[in-house]
Amino acid sequence: MDLSHVNTHQKVLIKAINAQNTLKKRLLSLGFCVGKTVEVVETSLQKNTIKLALGFSSVALRLEEAKLIEVEALS
Amino acid sequence: MKKVVIALVGQPNVGKSHLANAISGSNLKIGNFAGVTVEKATAHFSQEEFAIEFIDLPGLYSLEDFSADEKVTKDFLLKGEYDLILNVVDSTNLDRNLLLSTQLLELHKKMVIALNMDDEAIKDGIHIHAEMMSTILNIPCIKVSSKTKANVPVLVETIIKTLKAPFVESKLIYSNEVEEQLEKIITFLNEKRFQHHTMSNRQIAIGLLWQKKEIYALMHEQPLYIELQPLLNNALGHVYMYCECDDIEEVIHNQHSAFASGLCAEVMSLKTPKSKNLTQAIDALLIHKLFGLPIFIFLMWGLFQLTFSLGEIPMGWIEEGFGWLGETLGATIENEALQSLIVDGIIAGVGSVVMFLPNIMILFLGIALLETTGYMARAAFLLDGFFHKFGLHGKSFIPLVTGFGCSVPAYMAARTLKNKKDRLLTMFIIGFMSCGARLPVYVLFAGAFFEEEMAGNVLFGIYISGALLGLIAAKVLRVTAFKGEDEPFVMEMPKYRLPSLKLLWFVVYSKSIMYLKKAGTYILIASMLIWFISSYPQNSLIEESYSAKIEALQATETEAVEPSLEQNATEASAPQEEAIATLENEKNEKLMENTYLGMMGKTIEPLFAPLGFDWKMSVATLSGLAAKEVIVSTLGVLYSLGDEVTEEDSSLREIIASNMSFASAMAFIVFVMIYLPCLAATVVFAKEAQSYKYTAYLVLFTFATAWILAFITYQVLTLLA
Repeated sequence: MDLSHVNTHQKVLIKAINAQNTLKKRLLSLGFCVGKTVEVVETSLQKNTIKLALGFSSVALRLEEAKLIEVEALS
Repeated sequence: MKKVVIALVGQPNVGKSHLANAISGSNLKIGNFAGVTVEKATAHFSQEEFAIEFIDLPGLYSLEDFSADEKVTKDFLLKGEYDLILNVVDSTNLDRNLLLSTQLLELHKKMVIALNMDDEAIKDGIHIHAEMMSTILNIPCIKVSSKTKANVPVLVETIIKTLKAPFVESKLIYSNEVEEQLEKIITFLNEKRFQHHTMSNRQIAIGLLWQKKEIYALMHEQPLYIELQPLLNNALGHVYMYCECDDIEEVIHNQHSAFASGLCAEVMSLKTPKSKNLTQAIDALLIHKLFGLPIFIFLMWGLFQLTFSLGEIPMGWIEEGFGWLGETLGATIENEALQSLIVDGIIAGVGSVVMFLPNIMILFLGIALLETTGYMARAAFLLDGFFHKFGLHGKSFIPLVTGFGCSVPAYMAARTLKNKKDRLLTMFIIGFMSCGARLPVYVLFAGAFFEEEMAGNVLFGIYISGALLGLIAAKVLRVTAFKGEDEPFVMEMPKYRLPSLKLLWFVVYSKSIMYLKKAGTYILIASMLIWFISSYPQNSLIEESYSAKIEALQATETEAVEPSLEQNATEASAPQEEAIATLENEKNEKLMENTYLGMMGKTIEPLFAPLGFDWKMSVATLSGLAAKEVIVSTLGVLYSLGDEVTEEDSSLREIIASNMSFASAMAFIVFVMIYLPCLAATVVFAKEAQSYKYTAYLVLFTFATAWILAFITYQVLTLLA
């Protein structure tokens, strides 16, 4: 499952980040990292962008970028 | 006194500027880096034997230069001259902030870590053991709060102590496997008695293992490199194997990240479980699916309403003040030419620009509020979907909104966009966001042609239609000139914070001073120049012929008066006086047309005639290239020279309302809205785009669009009328 399919207010675990080069570095420096929990907090009107809670910070992603992040449901 | 430079480094939104302000009092100044056009804020203050200069570098998430803005900071840290790094860290987000700190530790510079926003951390139940952190890192870590100013003196003391003391190596450690390999390299270097004059052998070993080019270049020159190479190969192989990854960049990142989270776990304790905080509650409303966008539009509308209605009040006072100044000064000056220069040139020109200072202040205050509260990121989030349809990026919103203030910082703000094409496209569109300098023109025209209650809405309408035109232009450019991949949208949403009043005041104050400086220098000179070319050469022939006509009229008047009775005299002279007044006006008009400026205006008039501009307006658009405020001062000079007869129409607004048709005035607004921002901005564009070709495109593109749209506006409005 990738992050774009996660429902609002569901907590998931990051399994892999399939981005390349600079995008990957940026995601890492913003706190994305394998084994961390994320929660989708809000989505925009047409679900173009999503707001995530990640550790102590909030990060916004476009849906295309969310597709690159592989997650699994937190049991 | 010893001069020292301290680089303030931290991730975005950690309160760097705020802290600099808290440390230095209010000596913060905004200037430019030599060579690069990025704003740097510096603060000076003296303590003991040190004269300290703080350089507030643009915030960055990591030293991996993702955007051009971050590259500025990275370049400064690697190549600039400074004595100490003050790493500002957000205590409420320690884990992520420490990632940058570990990268900074590898720079091997004197460093102090300021654990900022301690007051907020306490509220969130976060406790950081600063002493333990200092021991682990071997670098002083001080808890401070830029808001409450708690511990700021201790921070300053620590900085001074660190400056005095010799450099001490930090205790940044890597995983056991990596440390083992490093140890092998260090032992080898020690055995060979290798010594570098500045770097320790550990530093060199890390540089080699991390494959830093500079270190390789350095070591390559050494004879021992032959023996070193197989050792290095072996070490790297081991590291790759242990880390299960063969990309050194990723290995480095994992090492840093492991160290940062380890450190964080060690020194930070969380008392209360994290509950839904204020930011989330506000966000639930402000980025709400349905209400988010309407709220955003309402806030923008409110800002422009306020800009007009609140700004109106002091504007009247300033206008009266300059009017009074002109009269009083004018009365004391004997020499007619000098009097005209001062009253009609300088006071009319500069006064008409200074008058708009209140509007400018409100607008900049609004933009500063958007930036400092954290709402800007929300707006980008809300608008990205919409912007993306037009080929723009959600982050383009930030330079675009800055563009409402001034195009110069807006072009620089476009650096947050990584992709070159996205950046160029955004920069092309910035001009459509009417800058603060165009505001005087709009305020003048909106006030002249619309009812007072409507003027604020008109102003909002002008800005909105400019922005919409910009979006359309973006789409057109995206499918023609700037085809290509989209930049990903990954953005932090900072916590909502109440901005510090001092910092807000600082921003508004420094922008106002810049505006006044511009009025006092650039616009003063431009006003004098325009006064000169609109007063000379003086044509005595016209002067004489009209004077003769007026005298003749006056003569008939006196003749008519003589035989008749006293009470009839006033009645009879009324039409006479009107005739004299029209003649007087005609004379001034003719005189003006024969000046240098008049000739210039006449030459370019055909070009602007289809837009309904007379020569005065044509000249004003040209002079507006120097700076958009000059449009108003030019109109001020041109119309105040000609208005000696109609004294009651003293305000420029009324003169314009009575001299221009509605259609040409609207076409003028449209033209001003779109055509090239000032020359200064164009130079910055060229610098930022690093291309003359694109600069030429920008000039052509904006002029052509402005002309065509103004033409349509004029023709449609004339047909409707």
